[in-house]
Amino acid sequence: MSEDAVADQPLDERPEIPKEVAVPEDATIAAGEAAKIRRGRQWPLPKLAVPGAPLLEVKDLQTHFKLRQGWVRAVDGVSFGLADGEALGLAGESACGKTTTALSLMKLLPSNGRIRGGSVELFGIDLVPKSETAMQRYRWRELSIVFQGAMNALNPVLRVRDQIAEPIQYRLGQPEAAARQRAEELLDLVGIPKKRSGSYPHELSGGMRQRAMIAMALACDPAIVIGDEPTTALDVMVQAQILELLERLRRELGLSLILITHDLSVLAETCDRVLVMYAGRVAEEGPTSRVFTAPRHPYTRKLVGSFPNINADRRTLEVIQGQPPDLLTPPPGCRFAPRCEFVMPVCREVVPPEVRFSDGVRVACHLFPKSDIEDVAGAIPYPETPPTSTAGPAATPAASA
Amino acid sequence: MTAAEGAIQEVRNQRLRLLARNARSFASRFATRTDGVVGLAVLIVFAVLALKPELFVGQLETATRATGHAFDPPSSAHIFGADDLGRDVLNRTVHGARISMTIGLLATLITVVIGTLVGIIAGYVGGVVDTVLMRVSDFFLVLPTFVLAIILAPVLIEVVGVDASVFGIRATLLVIIVVIGLTSWATTARIIRSQVLSLKGRMFVDRARVIGAGPGRIMIAHILPNVMNLIVAQAVLTFAVAVFTETTLSFIGLGDPFQPSWGEILNSAETSGAPGLGAWWYIAPPAVAVVLVVLAFTLVGNALDDLLNPKSATRR
Repeated sequence: MSEDAVADQPLDERPEIPKEVAVPEDATIAAGEAAKIRRGRQWPLPKLAVPGAPLLEVKDLQTHFKLRQGWVRAVDGVSFGLADGEALGLAGESACGKTTTALSLMKLLPSNGRIRGGSVELFGIDLVPKSETAMQRYRWRELSIVFQGAMNALNPVLRVRDQIAEPIQYRLGQPEAAARQRAEELLDLVGIPKKRSGSYPHELSGGMRQRAMIAMALACDPAIVIGDEPTTALDVMVQAQILELLERLRRELGLSLILITHDLSVLAETCDRVLVMYAGRVAEEGPTSRVFTAPRHPYTRKLVGSFPNINADRRTLEVIQGQPPDLLTPPPGCRFAPRCEFVMPVCREVVPPEVRFSDGVRVACHLFPKSDIEDVAGAIPYPETPPTSTAGPAATPAASA
Repeated sequence: MTAAEGAIQEVRNQRLRLLARNARSFASRFATRTDGVVGLAVLIVFAVLALKPELFVGQLETATRATGHAFDPPSSAHIFGADDLGRDVLNRTVHGARISMTIGLLATLITVVIGTLVGIIAGYVGGVVDTVLMRVSDFFLVLPTFVLAIILAPVLIEVVGVDASVFGIRATLLVIIVVIGLTSWATTARIIRSQVLSLKGRMFVDRARVIGAGPGRIMIAHILPNVMNLIVAQAVLTFAVAVFTETTLSFIGLGDPFQPSWGEILNSAETSGAPGLGAWWYIAPPAVAVVLVVLAFTLVGNALDDLLNPKSATRR
């Protein structure tokens, strides 16, 4: 009903979308599939968009924060791409630049943060030089975010429904009553019944609040939804429900997801690809199954190894010694070198180049100087086989009794 | 489209029902606060007296309409005795409620409107605007009420004339209202500004901005409802102070002798030498009335402050 009326509004022209749209080289979604998702968009592409351009292409992103002592290189040369309908996970320990990367995409940095280099291309439009006013066209309508901590991101004295109606009113210019009705539909979509839609945030449970935040992110039918730790502070059952919901919405609405988390099991379950970050740089990137079963970068290996394995001895977990470097004065070579057990002299001097393997994995490590190795798993120059994941031959389950 | 209209109507009805339910739940929570209920009861009594004094004590007694003799002690005819001109003290005290409460109400309105506006804008916009507004409020914060009233009263009366009136309020009373409003908005502005500063840092304000809400919309729809509890509590407390200030200003002779307020009655008691003559009945009724109203407002204000605090709402 009201949706038809709105679709006629000449917000932007509707260009012809080619049969195949470009996807990043390691994408897990085929070009034809991506084009189909893009044709299914409810809203036309932005005016400046190149119809066949990849959905998102981040190149050499440098986001730094100004402190009295100098610039903190929170994100220092990160590149990645995202295809229509794909789910990408950003992994890494705290303060490695995951959230800063995501906020840079929407240009929502704190006042002392600045993108000092690189580009963020959405449908071929570079968002980095865009002004705050120009960004309004992309925020929420193309890129939306599920904020970390739903309680803080919801106004405690406004009804949930009215808060979700806000972007519909302000971004899409719909009348209040229609926006409110659409908000109720969205809440229904994420599993909050209509009779609860008039509740205040404190009357909802943690899981429901998170669902409400997801509903809000979906308000303007965005192309990309960024989830900034969407399941942190929720118990495992609710976590599973939220992830299932995100997965379902991705399938039904053709969304692309960028999921930020330090919980690797969340990534393993929901993401097609993972990007492991360390100290503001990409350590390893590739299809989830490859990265988790055959981690190449020593950091990824440690990260995967420090995660509890249901089949392994539960009493011993690997620990990564030391602390991430101070990003005000990062180490000159590989940033992981001070904590790496395979460190070589070259690691301390030269920044490792990113090398892409035939199975789609990209690694920045001096242990992998070339990508022309056919059998990747066999070629890993580690002293023993990776002790992690499904294989888990080293540990015996006997101890668990 | 009829289906859509029906749905919209349904949303509206639901909103009304929710509003009614919320009002009921708030009323039941208020009922658990004994202090608030007592305060409210006292206020209702005074409000009724202020609205229809003729129903209870007849027309206002003036020097020509006086029904007793000078300094008649309390008797069955005059429960609180008579004043220096033989006017019934009860009659004048009850009629005084109207003037005192009206002044309190209008002064509170000025205080709360200016205070809220300045507080929210200064806190949200910040920067130079904040600095300028806060320096202005500093000026009004240190302005002495009485000195300002003493200077302003003759000036204003000279300008508008003795018999001028605005909405039935005579010039002298207007001075009192303006003076109370001018000297007390700064406190409200300060309190609201500090709350807005802490709200501004909350994530939901950032979220609202990202979603597309402009500064005006954020201030009205997001910040204002969050400081509403402060505004209500502040308004109630300001009312108490305003009634008290009005009494004091009238007592020192800045009131309007033709419109008896409680302070005005106390003033004429003092000038006629009632304390020296032992005519306590001339002084006690208006004085007790002032104390009761101020106390009642403070009780209600404290109860509202507790109940409207979002934290205490989550605790239940």
